[in-house]
This record gives sequence, C-alpha cells and structure tokens, in this order.
Amino acid sequence: MTTAKNTQETEIIEIATDVLVIGGGYTGLKAARAIAENGFRVILADQEAADNLNRFSLLGIAAPMENQLKELKDAVAADERIEFLPDADIKEAAGVTGDFTIRLTSRGEKMEKKVGAVVVATDIVSAPLNHIYGLELSDKVLTLSDVEEKLTDAEFQNKLKSDQPAVAFLVGFAQEGNPLLMKRVLDSVLAVNEASSGGATSYVYINDIKVAGDNLERLYKEGRDKGAIYFKLSELPAIEQQGGSPVIGFHDPVVRSDIELDPDFVVVEEAMTANQINPELAEILRIDLGPMGFLQTDNVHRFPVSSNREGIYVVGSTRDIQDLSDAWTDVENTVIQLKRLLGDGTREIPKFRAVVDREKCVTCLTCYRCCPHGAIYWDDKAVISPVACQACGICASECPQEAIQVTGYADDEITEKIRTAVSEVKNGAPKIIAFCCENSSLEAGKTAALFQYQLPEGLRTIRVPCAGKVDIHYVLTALIEGADGVLVMACHPGNCKSETGTTFARWRIDNAYRMLEETGIDKNRLEFVTLASNMAPDFAKIAVEMESRIG
Amino acid sequence: MESKQVMIMGGGIAGLTAARELAEFGVNVHLIEKTGFMGGYAIGYTCKATDECLQCGACAVEKTLKAVTETPNIKLHLSTTVDTVNLQNHKFSATLKKGPCYIDPEKCTDCGLCFTQAPEEGVVLRGYTKNNHPLYVITEEGIKKHRDFLASVCPEGAISVDAATESASLGVDAVVVATGFEPFDPNQKPTYRYADYPNVVSGLDMERIKREYGRLVRPSDKQDPEKVAFIQCVGSRDERLGHLWCSRVCCPYALRSAQSIKHKSPDMDITIFYMDIQNTGKNFPAFYQACKSDFRFIRSIPVDIFPEENDRMTLRIFDEAQGAPAMETFDLVVLSTGIMPNPDNQSISNLLGIELDTDGFFTHAEVLNQSITSQNGIFIAGTASGPKTIASSMAHAGQAAGEVLKYLGVTK
Repeated sequence: MTTAKNTQETEIIEIATDVLVIGGGYTGLKAARAIAENGFRVILADQEAADNLNRFSLLGIAAPMENQLKELKDAVAADERIEFLPDADIKEAAGVTGDFTIRLTSRGEKMEKKVGAVVVATDIVSAPLNHIYGLELSDKVLTLSDVEEKLTDAEFQNKLKSDQPAVAFLVGFAQEGNPLLMKRVLDSVLAVNEASSGGATSYVYINDIKVAGDNLERLYKEGRDKGAIYFKLSELPAIEQQGGSPVIGFHDPVVRSDIELDPDFVVVEEAMTANQINPELAEILRIDLGPMGFLQTDNVHRFPVSSNREGIYVVGSTRDIQDLSDAWTDVENTVIQLKRLLGDGTREIPKFRAVVDREKCVTCLTCYRCCPHGAIYWDDKAVISPVACQACGICASECPQEAIQVTGYADDEITEKIRTAVSEVKNGAPKIIAFCCENSSLEAGKTAALFQYQLPEGLRTIRVPCAGKVDIHYVLTALIEGADGVLVMACHPGNCKSETGTTFARWRIDNAYRMLEETGIDKNRLEFVTLASNMAPDFAKIAVEMESRIG
Repeated sequence: MESKQVMIMGGGIAGLTAARELAEFGVNVHLIEKTGFMGGYAIGYTCKATDECLQCGACAVEKTLKAVTETPNIKLHLSTTVDTVNLQNHKFSATLKKGPCYIDPEKCTDCGLCFTQAPEEGVVLRGYTKNNHPLYVITEEGIKKHRDFLASVCPEGAISVDAATESASLGVDAVVVATGFEPFDPNQKPTYRYADYPNVVSGLDMERIKREYGRLVRPSDKQDPEKVAFIQCVGSRDERLGHLWCSRVCCPYALRSAQSIKHKSPDMDITIFYMDIQNTGKNFPAFYQACKSDFRFIRSIPVDIFPEENDRMTLRIFDEAQGAPAMETFDLVVLSTGIMPNPDNQSISNLLGIELDTDGFFTHAEVLNQSITSQNGIFIAGTASGPKTIASSMAHAGQAAGEVLKYLGVTK
C-alpha cells in the first residue's frame, strides 16, 4: 500500500500553450482573438469550407452590429498568432490537459497539432418549423430568417408601405420559446412597423412571452404601443392553408368569441437548437453532452464555461441558447481560466496528487473509464495527469488492484482515522461515523456545530474529497471497529463536483447493504444521504434521527 | 512588479466571485460590504434540491464565500461604505466609513454567547454560515437598549460597546461596482395586503422560514399549509410602477421552490399565478413539463387578496378558462418579488461618475461588453447592472475580473 508522501512537494512541468478553438462563428472568432491578445497562439478550426472567414452566426443581429462583426473578422484575419483552418474535421484528441495531441483534417489534408487547451464555440442552428403548423412555405408563409432578411430589402419595405399588410407571427407553439427567439420576433415586429411607416399591423400568436433578456419587456411594450396585437394562447390556433393563403382562428376567452384572421403574410418561428456536431465533439473530447444537445451539464460547482475536463471550455451557444453579449462574457471567462491554466508554459503542481503503484497496476483501465475528469492515460501502466486530476479519488476506490492512492486520503490513513474516531467516543453514546464530502456535508456539519444545532454526542466526521472516494472497506471497517452507525453523505445527484461521485457512492452502499443483510447486521446502521453545503439543519436532523434509530 | 490593488464595492455573489478571480492573479483585493455579513442576499437562499440538484446555485455562493475567506490577499471590510473617490494619475484614492464594529473579529471565537443569552431578539444578529466571521453582529438598537449586557457577556473581551465609526483611506488601481439589487417592497402593491396578513409572504420571507423551520410553515401558526399560491411578477413587468423589466430569477425561483416544497410535503397543493413563464437551465422544456404535472398554472395575476377565517386568504382572479372572475382560498400566499435597482445606485453613480439607465441600473458603455463603464478603471459586475441569476452574476463577475486584469496589464 502506498503511504502518504510529502503533500507539500511540488514539481515544475512544462505544458503546451497553444489553444485550439473549434468554430468559426462570432463566438469562435471572438474567442480566438481574445486568446491571441493574451499572448497565446491559436488554431482556429471551422467545419465550414469558406476560407475567408466570411461566415457569422447572424441570428438576431441588428444591422449596426454588422460593422462590429466585420472589424472582428478583419482583426482575426490579420492576427499572425491565429492559424485559420477551414473545412476542418476533428478526428481525435489524445493526451490530457496541457498536452493534447489533436488529429484533424483541413480541406482533406491530415494534420496533427499539439495544444494545451481546447475551446469549443459551435454555433446555434436555426431550422424552420412551418411543418408543425401544417404550413407550406410560400411567398405568403415566411420563416423568421426570411422576414429578417426581407426587412432589410428596399423593395419589400416599399411593398409594406404601399400594401399596409396584416402580418401574423406564430411563436412558441412548436417549441418552448426562449429570449433570443423572442428578441428576433420583437425586433421584426418593430421593423415591420417602421418599414411600413406604421401602416402594417403585426398580429403575434404566442404562448409565453419570453422577456428574460436585456430590454425585451421594453421592446414588447414599444411594439404594442405602435399597434402590434398579441394573442397569448395556451394552445396552437386552428390554421388552414388553402391555395397559399392561410387563415388563423382561435377562441378568445376574454371577449368570449371566435377570432379569425386572414393575414397577408405569416411568419413562422424557427427552432434554435444546439449544433448537430456537438455529440460527436463530446465523444472525441470526452466531455459531457448535456440536455437538448448542448455541451455540459448545468453543474453549479464549475464555472459555466468549464467542462468536466480541465483545459476544455465550452462557450456561447455551445452550452446553451445565448446571445452575443453572453458569448462575450463566456469568452472573457474562458480567457481568465486559460491564463491561469497555461500561464507562461510552466506549471507548479503537487507531485503526488494521486499515485499509481506501477507494481500493482495490471492496466485493466478501470480508472481510465471511471475518471470523470478525463485525467488518466496510459503507457504500459495507467498514468494520472497531475494537471488534469481533480483528486476526487473515484479511481482509487474503483481500482480492483488497489493500485491508486490519493495524497492525504490514502487507504491506511483513512482506516487510521476511522479507528481513532471510533475509539474517541467513550461514554457509551452511540458511535456514528459520517463520511462527509468536503464540498457539501462536511461544510454543512461544520455550520451545524457552530450554530449549536443538536448533534449526537458520538458523531464523528471523516472528510473525503468526494463521496466517490468512500470505499466499501471504509464502511465495513467502521462497523468492525465498533461504530454503531455509519452515514455516507454525498452531494445531490447533478451537484457532484466530479459528476459521478454520488452514483459510485450509491452503488457501493447498495452493495454494502447486501453484505449487511447476508451477515445479519441491522441495515438501519448504515445510511446513504445527499446534502448540500448550505443544509446545516438537515445535517443535524439526519444525524439525530440515526442516533435515535440505533441508540 | 508591485502588486496591484483593486477595490470591489459589494460583498454579494458578484463581488465575491470577482474578488476570488482577481486574487488568483496576485491582485490585492479590498472587498467592501455595507452590512455586517458577506454573501449578499443569495447567501440566505436555501437549497432547492429534490432528489436531485435543481441548479439554483445557492451552494455556489457558500462555496465562493469560503474560498474568499481562505484567500490571504483579499481584505474584507464589513459594515463599510465608500465615502469619496478621487482619481489622479490612474490611481483612485477612496475614503471609507467603517462601523461602528462592536465585535472585534480578531478576538471573536463565534461562540455565540452574546446571541444565545441576549435578552431579546434583534440585539444580536446571526450570520448565515460558518463562513461569516464574525458570525454575529450587534445592532444599534441592541447597543442602545442592552449596553450593560453586551459590555459584560463576551468571555473573550471581543465586544467593545464604545466602538465608533472610523474613517480609513485606500489607494487602488481599479474599482469594481458589484453593489447588487434591492428586492421589491411588496407594500408598494397595497392590494396584496403584505403588511396586514401574516400569511402573505415574500420570497425572502419564505427563505427565512425554511432556514428556521427546515420546511415551509405558515407564519401565523407554524403549521404546514395545505394550499399554497405563488404570485409571479410582483414588482416586475409592471407598467403602472414604471418597471419595464423582467426580473429573470422569479420564475426559476418559484418553480424550483415549489418543487422542493412539494418534495418535502407531497400532499401540498400548489398553484402558480403568472403572466408568462420564463426559462431556466438548458433542460427547461422537460423541467417545465414536470412542473405542469405537479402544480396548477393559472395565467392570471390576482387583483387583490381578502382575509378569511383561520388566517386564510381569498385571491380574486380572472379565470381565463371560464372567461369570468373567480375566487379561490389559500393557506399561504408567496409573492415572487422582483429585482429592483439598489437605492444607493444614484449616489454611487455620482460618486464614481458612471451612468444609470432609465430603470436605475448601471449601464455598460459597449453594446456587447457588459462589464465596461464609461470611466476607465471602473467596471461593473452582477445585478448592479440589471437582473441576473446567481450563475449569470458569477459569469458577469468573471468577465469584470477579466477586464480588470486587462486594464491593469496583469498576466501570469
């Protein structure tokens, strides 16, 4: 068994400082430029074939913004620190944080790049939803993108002015809306009004008005003040399209009558969805694919741009439906993380964060598979990258050879702590050993004690870096040493800093229950609970309830 | 190179995040907080988890505060306000008004004697977490009424009842404004009778109740309510009040709260009165769908509230389905109070020469860059510039820290 090393011992290692940015839309360009401005070389890989950076994600962009975008494009093109790879296809990302080897093709040509970090900046994708409304696109039935484009066209503007048409918008029935889609609709409503000098009328059929964005409530009011009419409906209105002219009808509960409209134009909402390349990138980069095809779960322990792997960042619409200023916020947050991670190309790191005993390791790769941070690779034995490792200890507890030890939490150290804790309780009070994740229940327990909540006299806490570090042996050792009760206190599912620690802990405790059952030990003596750091009263309640159950 | 100094105004989640990020780069941070506790409003929010985390972000505040208290190059200034700021040769010189601080943080052991033995409530206030140090604050009222008790209660001699307001001066290279928001005062909507009925509570009141009792109870009798109503948009999206903004956090707040309440009390009947439900999280469609099967959603904002027997209340609404007015009685009404500009914003704007928008929040000087102000060296973070969730306040603060580092030329 590897015993504790000097936990203070550090070493200086060299890391690659080039950064790969994936995605040549606004966010990707912004990221490339901001990273280059901080002195890092950037490889900007775009899956589109265009080789002159002429593509932007222009969704919802007002015309004056286009100049800013052009400036950005020119700055990127002129920046010698940025290497632009068009028509790029990322094939493989080997290695770990600070030392990735990216294999890709650009215009069919194979290449290999050494980078220290990766930034994913894929664009949001827009798709028409007219089929859900049973509408065929025609010169009267337009997508939102169509109308945005037409509204900048002088001929269309004149037509609006002369015909003073009724324009119907259909929003939020084919999908759950969002503020970015809402902004596009609100802007289009105002643009219709302006282009027609107030002559055209917009009728917006909508489910929920999604105004949780900058200035949207004001735009909503401005549109209504200028004559736009909003019908807020909980169900899809009845739509008929005969010979190209749609008719929209619904029952208005407020005026208790059926309202039918025969608009001159119908503008149909568009789906704004995650880029379809995301799942593939997630697999290649070994980062989590979140809900709705966006990258990353919403884990509150991490900065929103940080992925489950150190050194891989997800920005802008890669991680959620976001507007350009949110994308800028993400880019700046990424730059700050990159500066800290890559610095001047050297890093001082703890020498023995987690150590593989190469004598014991049989290269079964259990650790490689279970590491939630993608921090493990192998030569002929498993190797843990000290830069990428977050010291959660999941690998150490899963290793069938017991070949991995985490500094400060080596098995013999924890066993010793359990023994000491059990033997400390002398006066006959029920002995309760609580294994506490340092990110949640350990904090809750400390606050509970300081706030003088009632706690069992015989309660002793054992700190673990993650519930995923709680080995089934720890639980059994505690019981064998004489603990009357054992608590394993993890984070809530979805809140584990290491994503899967709670799941691993729960599996092991389920196993432990089976063992207790076989040996005839009262199952009530073991409990698995989930807590957050701000749940001190709950911590106290759980501990007291266990005491009364076993006492 | 001499270490740079940055003053951050506001010790809420935005200020804490900016402080932590800057300190990582060796910047010396002065974190100025006007109340006696770091953490802002968000440190008082309870966890909304059911069997799983609902990503409310409250624990992230706890975690960030812990990190800040453990960082040596962040100096915390509690019960402190910024009096004057002058800019000369790219250096800001500020005068601070501190205290009176009756408890000496060096001597206080957070033992709690002053709190537990206090002759009445309101003499000593307790913080929210072990990461608040000192964990206790003595109020002005407490000093006036119980001076002798306070002078003698502390075994460590950490309390000095004669403490006075002190001035201090500070020279810094940059300023971050992270002064946060003010929750809407429900008394401005008199028909909801917030001041009159004990069982009409604001979101913050509900947090206090949940912290104290570990679950949601009625303030009037401390019993579990059977029927609970959430009223959305209280103070937000209100043309009559001139509040033409969505507070962005109240829908997520209400839905998550309702989920966590229902998790603890599955029989509770919850109704949400709303105009439009706003999204939260990338998995919102699925979350909203689950909410729709667990709670009743009524698209109507109640007009007013009448008292009933047993401290119950009747809401008068317009029932869209029936096309007619309707009445319904509840045991507890939660007002989802919105995010308002901090009332100090005008004076801070005058102090620093940075502009407010028509709503009273701080504006950013560039369209897309939300943390730049019109003054070089002054940056903005969090809800001071408008409604934000905990996660977006943190992201905004990270951006502000990035801009500060750029401005100071700090690299690593």
